[in-house]
Amino acid sequence: MSDRAELHQKNLEKIFNPQSVAIIGANQNKGTVPFDILSGILSGDFNGVIYPVSPGRTHISVLKAYKYVVDIEDPVDLGVIVFPSTVTHMALEQCGQKGIKSVVIISAGFREVGGNGIEREKQIVEIAHKYDISFIGPNCLGMINTDPKVRINASFARQMPAAGSIGFLSQSGALCTAVLDYAQAKGIGFSKFVSFGNKADISEVDLMYYLMRDEKTKVVLLYLEEVSDGPALMKAAKDIIELTSKPILIIKSGRTEEGASAAASHTGSLAGRDEICDAAFQQAGIIRCDHIEDMFNIATAFAYEPIPLSNRVAIITNAGGPGVLTTDTAIKEGLQLACFSKETTKVLKKALPNTANINNPVDVIGDATADRYETAMDAVFRDENVDGVFVILTPQSMTDIDTIAHKVVEVTQKYDKPVYTSFMGETDVASGIRILQQNQIPHYSLPESMSKAFAVTHQFGKLLQKAPAQKIEGIAIDQLKAKEIIQQAMEDGKTFLQEYEATELIKAYGLPVTKGILISSEKEAGQVARKVGFPVVMKVQSLDILHKVDVGGVQLNILTEEDAQLAYHSIISSVQERQPEARIQGVFITRQIPKGEEVILGLKRDPSFGPVIMFGLGGIFVEIFRDISFRVAPLAREEAFEMIKQVKAYKILAGARGRHPKDVEAIVDTILKLSQLAVDHPEITELDINPLIVLQEGKGCFAADVKILLREG
Amino acid sequence: MEKSEVKARVVNVIANVLEIEEAIISDEANFVFDLGADSMQSLLLVAGFEEEFEIEMDEDKSLEVQTVGHAVDFIIEYL
Repeated sequence: MSDRAELHQKNLEKIFNPQSVAIIGANQNKGTVPFDILSGILSGDFNGVIYPVSPGRTHISVLKAYKYVVDIEDPVDLGVIVFPSTVTHMALEQCGQKGIKSVVIISAGFREVGGNGIEREKQIVEIAHKYDISFIGPNCLGMINTDPKVRINASFARQMPAAGSIGFLSQSGALCTAVLDYAQAKGIGFSKFVSFGNKADISEVDLMYYLMRDEKTKVVLLYLEEVSDGPALMKAAKDIIELTSKPILIIKSGRTEEGASAAASHTGSLAGRDEICDAAFQQAGIIRCDHIEDMFNIATAFAYEPIPLSNRVAIITNAGGPGVLTTDTAIKEGLQLACFSKETTKVLKKALPNTANINNPVDVIGDATADRYETAMDAVFRDENVDGVFVILTPQSMTDIDTIAHKVVEVTQKYDKPVYTSFMGETDVASGIRILQQNQIPHYSLPESMSKAFAVTHQFGKLLQKAPAQKIEGIAIDQLKAKEIIQQAMEDGKTFLQEYEATELIKAYGLPVTKGILISSEKEAGQVARKVGFPVVMKVQSLDILHKVDVGGVQLNILTEEDAQLAYHSIISSVQERQPEARIQGVFITRQIPKGEEVILGLKRDPSFGPVIMFGLGGIFVEIFRDISFRVAPLAREEAFEMIKQVKAYKILAGARGRHPKDVEAIVDTILKLSQLAVDHPEITELDINPLIVLQEGKGCFAADVKILLREG
Repeated sequence: MEKSEVKARVVNVIANVLEIEEAIISDEANFVFDLGADSMQSLLLVAGFEEEFEIEMDEDKSLEVQTVGHAVDFIIEYL
């Protein structure tokens, strides 16, 4: 952790737990942000001292007002700046003089408006560094801590939310108010609630680490519009999960593609920014949510219920249709319907009417009373074959909804297994749902949401049980040789390497290549081809040609010296005809690789996450089905193996329909070496090994064609 | 018009609009940070200066003026 990051952790303590707060720029004009911030703190019953700083006024409401923050006689823990952006720097400077290290800057008019705003933001960052101040914002809604010992609502949200165990961090202030309103309607409480705006100083990563240490927070939620430091975000997520087992749920907006079509390499065109984001989140154990409802459906499951030990669920319903619907969604989400023990079946048979279904899903029938629900719940909860219970209710004329809701609360308290509920409908079930929500029983308006939430929590439980990925050590590499090749190419002004250079480069990292020699005359062709060993492949080498096949620059399966000479002639003639201006360096002769399964490996640099490795099976699997997987480098061995298994076509490599299994271990090794190359040489912007030919198990794999693009300069 | 006269009249307008003592209005005083002008009062100050000096100022530029001294110089440009 950097010095500044450590400082933020210290200063965040006082941002969230201040004993005194100065509202700098407060006024008494109703309907303005400065007024509402002060009102929020007052009406939230803050357990500390409030100092309005408001030049020109002696009092605001009953509080004494100060002209400057430096005029306050006593120490101040937290400064909340609500002045316009044009004077925010003056207020922050005075905070520094006063010794205030923890600040929230609500004011807008900085980087987000461009022009002078960018300069203003730089200025406040400089002041913060000068005085060792940490600040949230600018351009944010503020922050809330619901801890009864503190109770601070330093935001212009309409009201203080209920206390809870969910920590919510948002880049969008406006979304925060909508989330608070949504959560209030669902009876969801928060531990901490933060809008971090432009994140000019304290970032989402700093706040995540704070929530990691916060005892009141069980679940961390984030809304992000941009990932500014992907590796730091991934590391924070991994640390939080590994050290505290707290789940991290993120909505990352902006799923649109950009720039992919302009990419020069195969990997570049296949790797969309959002797919990389998905892969990076998955790699870090982050749960990516599609929308707010999805996020809170999962968050409440984590916040209120234990993580299921496995995926076997019991369904209890008073209606057949919803039972079947839930079964469908449960199976689709990878859950299993629990097979009840004989004891459970016996109890259910004895207690339920003859018309009831005593198998899973248990149908307690439309006229079910609370007692019938109770008997069924008790029986399935006790069953060792059950890891979690779904309780479904539809409101029929005789259904005593509230009593059943109370019974659900009562029964579930006795067991350490998760229960999710779905009281289907809207008006009639409203009071019953409220009872469930008040007692922190997860409720879902649709049964499929129960299944998804259960599946996600179960997957997270599995992740917690997994040993952390081990770093790879001891890959034999010739880093100096690789560096020389790259430096020489860059000095020559090249933005991509010729295949013979690219082959040398990956060879230096131990990637599997076949023997190859560059020739520059027809005369050499036969002799060199014999030396390399038939059959050979011959490819034109030109800095002006990126796609050799398109200009007739590739000849395969050459078996004799004469054919090699002919192939040389044919390649040169074809290139001269189709791209006369191309400067030809020669023809690269390599041994032809025996037939095997063709896969594609790639590397791309993502602006947010850095080096990203891509894997897929060749041909239509990549081109048509986009059956590809991504991981952010560096990778551990397990991660490399997982990215291979993730593609649907993995079955082909594993030996489907009587085929011989292919050498997957060799692909794993190659991915790890490529990952190391990506980390060591940031000058490589894109790389394709297409195809990598994979032979039978134990026989290895070979790069048949390599393309490497370098950054300019 | 002499600069001292402009300044005296500017200070008078500020004192009236912001309802503060003339004595605390220095050349360096920032309308927002030192004198506590909010956004509405900033607009009223611009209107007050225009009426006092019978001028019409560029609205965007006038709202960029931050200190009393700068306001005096800005108004002189229109006289």
